[in-house]
Amino acid sequence: MKAALIGAGQIARQHLACLKTLPGVDLAAICDLSPATGEAAAERYGIRDWFTDHRAMLERVRPDVVHVTTPPTSHFGLALDAIGAGAHVIVEKPATQTYEELDTLVGRAQGAGCHLIEDYNYLFNQAPQEILRRIESGEFGAVTHVEVLICLDILGPGGFADPNSPHPALALAGGAIADFLPHLASLAYLFVGPYRTAQTVWTKRKPSLLPFDEFRAVVDAERGTAALGFSSSSQPDAFWLRVYGERMQATANLFETRLTFDGPRNAPKPLRSFFNGLEEGKTIRRAAVATLLRKFKGPGAYEGLWELLARTYRALADRSAPPVTASDVLEVNRMVEALKPREQR
Amino acid sequence: MRALVTGANGFLGRHVVGALLARGIEVRALVRPAACLEGLGWPSSVEVFRADLRTSRQLPHAFEGVNVLLHLAAVVTGGEDAQFAGTVVGTERLLDAMASSTCRRLVLCSSFSVYNYSSVLRTLDEDSPLHQTPDLYTRDGYTIAKWWQERVTRRFAEQHGWDLTVLRPGFIWGRNHGYLAALGQQFGRHHLVIGPLTRIPMTHVENCADVFALAAVNERARGQTLNVVDGPGERIWPYLSDYMHGSGQWGWRLPVPYWLASMMVRLAFATVFRTATKVPGILIPRRFESRLKPLRFENRKLRETLGWTPPLDYRRCLVRTYGLATSTGAAER
Repeated sequence: MKAALIGAGQIARQHLACLKTLPGVDLAAICDLSPATGEAAAERYGIRDWFTDHRAMLERVRPDVVHVTTPPTSHFGLALDAIGAGAHVIVEKPATQTYEELDTLVGRAQGAGCHLIEDYNYLFNQAPQEILRRIESGEFGAVTHVEVLICLDILGPGGFADPNSPHPALALAGGAIADFLPHLASLAYLFVGPYRTAQTVWTKRKPSLLPFDEFRAVVDAERGTAALGFSSSSQPDAFWLRVYGERMQATANLFETRLTFDGPRNAPKPLRSFFNGLEEGKTIRRAAVATLLRKFKGPGAYEGLWELLARTYRALADRSAPPVTASDVLEVNRMVEALKPREQR
Repeated sequence: MRALVTGANGFLGRHVVGALLARGIEVRALVRPAACLEGLGWPSSVEVFRADLRTSRQLPHAFEGVNVLLHLAAVVTGGEDAQFAGTVVGTERLLDAMASSTCRRLVLCSSFSVYNYSSVLRTLDEDSPLHQTPDLYTRDGYTIAKWWQERVTRRFAEQHGWDLTVLRPGFIWGRNHGYLAALGQQFGRHHLVIGPLTRIPMTHVENCADVFALAAVNERARGQTLNVVDGPGERIWPYLSDYMHGSGQWGWRLPVPYWLASMMVRLAFATVFRTATKVPGILIPRRFESRLKPLRFENRKLRETLGWTPPLDYRRCLVRTYGLATSTGAAER
């Protein structure tokens, strides 16, 4: 399977590090507007060729899969060109700036017999996958509600709020927080299905270049409800996922490896919370060690991206359905569109 | 003569601006759009040009009427990608703009970090081997970015026939920048001093700035690559004493022979960290060496090529940095 990347920045590094480990993947080419960035990535990851013009790359290399890892405002045109060249496309989130663009991309991909996969990496972290396993086994019970809250300081001068060079994500409706909406929406979609209605609150607590720095939403979906949020002010950084089932509840921090379950136990009811508390303490201590160790090696919080890419390439090789389907992408983005600030949709 | 100085409000840049003015050279100072220039004390003759090298479309205008570019800008904080984008991509865009101008003279601020310390046995000089790819990519983000910045600049200079001078300063020190990575490992106020008698390749910021100003005007600098150190360098232990005395940050100092620390790092790397991908730099043998390896440093080529001697000796540098007496120097204010 011949793979090529468009964009050799920070997230491309994760894609490349993973692709290097996948059997049967040939890292054929990389493209970046900066010659030095492209060449450095090619040297570092042993990529055969590098380009500064993505059309020249598509024409000369004819890749089977193209990863679009550029800033979000450029995704649509690049993905369209890659599909036009007959390649499957794995695009970083958010795939496009509008739902209409996304719809066009999906339509073109289906017409060309290609897959369009948006990177919902956190769905494939171990914690959501373990919760999913317990749901599918019936142990968890039907999910009634999910809460997803990202606490991340994005107001520092080096990132989204760089006063010297406007970050590309600021061009999105909702600004920098919009960059995280696909994470929130994809997790909500995973546990409670397609959205029906959504109520949102977008606010700004601190002075910065960002149009908003806090976001909350309540979503009514087909199989339950979801409370979604993003906080630039709450510290420490965390990515909380709480899933409420009819028999169990699960809590995970997706920036770490922590995952705890609270559920029925073979003990007298008054002692249930006591034993569950002991069990939870043990799990948290084990997760603390695992989180520390994974800082030394491997993808860290990007474990889900590696899993998603591995499953995607396996599916492409087997000609089976990829782990993120066109229908998933459309449904998640329908929810994302509903979450955007009303005046900027 | 007019010079364009990038990174002009940085630690080195602000002194280079002063040194250029002292030589009667007009200065256009390129600074970032949000840069605070208060307290720099620049005279009104300094023309300020605000632009971000990563994104500005106004860069060609910065070269109007410019005879020489002194390119000092580099990103020294943030992750590896941020440093690469700020330092290397910024340089590509800057030199693209220069290519459309009449300016043909360029002085680049490179770094000692481009040298492969692991391959140097005794004396590190301009002929010492540089990092090679792909081994380069096992180094820290700063090293990768500075190595690539020099590579990109040399390619542009060769392609366009520019007169390039590459200056590679060692550790630049001065007021508010007295603590150097070469001093070992700091734990709060306390210091693990690795190889206490190792000499530090150091240049005081005012001496270093003087070299840049001289290189901008001296014909003999054209086409040269020169290491910038004030001399053989102070030894770690007495310099750390001066630092602690000067900064008032007293703490314990635990000396460890370099060979012992190096052996322990190698052992830890071979047994525990070899397959790890994210390890503190000091625990990676090659990065450990590039910070702490005991080598000899000299500025013979700089002295012979430009006839330069440091305007400030070590004692005066201490006074300029800390403004008070030190363990090795007489009281002076």
